[in-house]
Amino acid sequence: MKKILNLQVNGETHEIAVNPADTLLHVLREGLGLIGTKRGCDSGGCGCCTVLVDGKAVYSCMLLALSAVGKSIVTIEGLSTDGKLDPLQEAFIKAGAVQCGFCVCGMIISSKGLLMENPHPKEAEIRQALSGNLCRCTGYHKIVEAVRIASAHS
Amino acid sequence: MARKNSATTAIGKSAPRPDAYEKVTGGKGFTINLKLPGMLHARILRSPYPHARIRRIDTSRAEKLPGVKAVLTPKDVPQTKFSPVLFEPTLAATMVQDMLILSDRIRYAGEPVAALAATSVEIAEEALGLIDVDYEVLPAVFDPEEALKPGAPQLYETAPNNVAVGPVFSFGDIEKGFAEADYIFEGTYETQRVHTCYMEPRVCVADTDSRGRLTIWSSTQHIFGLREKLAFALGLPESQVRVMKPPYIGGGFGGKLDMGLHEPICALFSMKTRRPVRLEQTRYEEFISTTRNPIKMYLKTGVKKDGTFTARYAKSILDTGAHATHGAIVVMVHGFFGFLLPYRCENKKWEGCSVYTNNMVGGGYRGYGCPQGAFAVESQIDEICEKLKLDPVEFRLKNAHKEGDPHPFNPGFTLSTYRFEDCLVQGAERIGWSERKAAGSGRGSKKKGIGLATQPLWVSGCMGFPDIYEHSGAIVKLNVDGTADLAVATVDLGSGQIITLSQIAAEELTLSPDKVRVTAADTDTVPFDAPAHASRVTYSTGNAVKAAAASAKKRLLEVAASLLEASPEDVELVEGTVRVKGAPKKSMNIADVVKRAESPFLVMTAQGPQPTSVQEKGTIIGVSSMAPPSNPSPATAEFVEVEVDTETGEVDVLRVVYAHDIGRVINPQGAEGQVEGGFQQGMGFALSEKISFDQSNGACLSGDFLNYKMPTAPEMPTQIESIFIESNEPTGPFGAKSLAEPCVIVPAPAIANAIYNATGARVRQLPITPERVLAALGKL
Repeated sequence: MKKILNLQVNGETHEIAVNPADTLLHVLREGLGLIGTKRGCDSGGCGCCTVLVDGKAVYSCMLLALSAVGKSIVTIEGLSTDGKLDPLQEAFIKAGAVQCGFCVCGMIISSKGLLMENPHPKEAEIRQALSGNLCRCTGYHKIVEAVRIASAHS
Repeated sequence: MARKNSATTAIGKSAPRPDAYEKVTGGKGFTINLKLPGMLHARILRSPYPHARIRRIDTSRAEKLPGVKAVLTPKDVPQTKFSPVLFEPTLAATMVQDMLILSDRIRYAGEPVAALAATSVEIAEEALGLIDVDYEVLPAVFDPEEALKPGAPQLYETAPNNVAVGPVFSFGDIEKGFAEADYIFEGTYETQRVHTCYMEPRVCVADTDSRGRLTIWSSTQHIFGLREKLAFALGLPESQVRVMKPPYIGGGFGGKLDMGLHEPICALFSMKTRRPVRLEQTRYEEFISTTRNPIKMYLKTGVKKDGTFTARYAKSILDTGAHATHGAIVVMVHGFFGFLLPYRCENKKWEGCSVYTNNMVGGGYRGYGCPQGAFAVESQIDEICEKLKLDPVEFRLKNAHKEGDPHPFNPGFTLSTYRFEDCLVQGAERIGWSERKAAGSGRGSKKKGIGLATQPLWVSGCMGFPDIYEHSGAIVKLNVDGTADLAVATVDLGSGQIITLSQIAAEELTLSPDKVRVTAADTDTVPFDAPAHASRVTYSTGNAVKAAAASAKKRLLEVAASLLEASPEDVELVEGTVRVKGAPKKSMNIADVVKRAESPFLVMTAQGPQPTSVQEKGTIIGVSSMAPPSNPSPATAEFVEVEVDTETGEVDVLRVVYAHDIGRVINPQGAEGQVEGGFQQGMGFALSEKISFDQSNGACLSGDFLNYKMPTAPEMPTQIESIFIESNEPTGPFGAKSLAEPCVIVPAPAIANAIYNATGARVRQLPITPERVLAALGKL
């Protein structure tokens, strides 16, 4: 039996019908068309589906949509405003941190969660904050560099 | 843009990737995002048994579930046997054709049994549980050496003793070589099954038009190969299949180098229902769909006191699993590039054996048999050097090929650029090789060590290989705004072909790279290209792109010459402007030339309609389709520093130095990124990654990222340095060779050798887990 609920996503309220078992990832992608949040494993292992929930980076595949009611959700689509990229997005491009790009939205969201809490992290803190996000292309090297660049500009 | 190198407009610069902007804002171009109106969702029922015959399948309960639209069982699919490997011709003699889309004989746990398509994924999954299957369970065999023994369960009537292929190659006189040796070294080295771990799962959507022609969108590494294999397996003419090039694919690394079963299954469902049909594999399905084949390698090597090889022998047992797939070819590349060819030695012999077992199927994975070979060969070289007190750098140089030598694989080609020595010397200097201490001499429980491994010989594609496609094509079209469109079939796996090929086209047209745009493409509209594999795209496709751009440039100069009232020989293209040689003021930029070429024949002027020239008319376009002229070898050396905790057995990689001769570097930042990512894959192979199975029933125990350990950001070394020795390959586009794979091949032996240098303990089995380190230290 579907339920109608209101989700706060990227500063807007969306009224949407969901099944009780639907994950937040499922509702973001299939319900709201926010396809920047990727489904890499659907089992809490890869981090491609990371979103901010009340400012904390979480796996949206591990959260039921029902439990996200009343919380502020930010996806990659919420980071750039009026075509202006977030400094993290700029830094990922500049540092060459994007290869296949499938993990990158989750990487940027986890990095955003980190910088909101700790604007000038040390390298070890950056690496720790990204430990839940897997990347198979970059070896993380230029991703860490991108976060460093963005933090220097914040 | 600041010019680092005034001689080029595009090559050798870290031009930003045009796809990066879209990817950091969401990345629409992945196949996983594709939805079509009325789309059905397919799911596959998989066998719980590793070896069985299907006596009966009853789908009646599933078909009654509302929303289920179609069902496929073995009797509903063509029973044409095929090999899914994308880069070989369908019926090549070297291919082993042993697969069916669905078969009533099951050979591994997880093999597809039936499939269904429904209006939602949820309904499809529910319906899977309503299919009743009666299995006759057969005895299974999981160890390839057991499978070779008399009396072992047999997987195929056509493959006695479960041997899929058993190539043997011999050069010189191996017995004489051993007789001449001062020392003979023997060792057994074993590698495990690992997964490519592309982040985007395999996914496709198939659709059928009103006349039955099939279109398929898929996260694949080769659109033409998929067209060929799909048409063959379905019994269709190739022209009835159109494969769309995915703008982006979420990684491949060789894992998407075969036709998956989801592709023909969706195609059949779409042909049956005339609706678009989608199938996205779960991560569990990914882990049992493709792997690097495990190889056990027995090495016997004869050397002189001074370290010269006198005889090299190896036997390689490759576990190809339930079907031959890539395993029949991986074993050959392993034998030649992983063992026989990298070093000079007159007397050598290799016996390969690709063995069927009731394990999951193999696949392509970066290095294609050579990570397994290099682990054995490069580890044993370290053992030889330790015993004979020789320097591992000098040992390798003594036995290496030299620049100018005939290519060891194809003597018709020459190692015209080959800077292996520079790789070793410069890498050694950067890591501080001369300061390296004696093995196990460090104090305290945490010990540091440095190790070296090389891949002396590699490929830039498959030119000269039997039964492997190796030609490329490109279309370059100039636009009225002075930009160029580049259409190629090659898929950018993430390694940056979108920008490197743009840079090659831009350089030929004297443009900056941002003036070239890689367009959409599909099998209907662009020339054939072999897959994105075998480290080939920069060299092979790059040559085709350069040729297409040169052809467009030739036409541009003809049109411009006519407009400038000069002969084509007297005009030149300089930084986007065509000018008359010796009269730089007589010039036109590309945009103005193209505008004139694309303009109507009659142009209205104040004086009335004025004719232009017929000779100037027409789109300025260049097309190429060609095989590359050679197969130049890159060279690679890697030095690794590790710290080993001898109390816990844990290994921490501290620092990595790579030195590569890849010819001219097209995009330095992209090249560095590919190497850094290569190390992550190599380090996972060395230390932590393994697909595990329950040995009683063949069930996969590591079907998710919690149980399959690929390295994360905190586990990676903070220093990964790349030295690029820029030889100028005469047959390459602007001097380029190739990069992609050696950086994945060398980490495991480099790490194993560094662990030995730190502790004095040798581990000959991957992954080198803490338990294995402690066992090698005699602590377990």
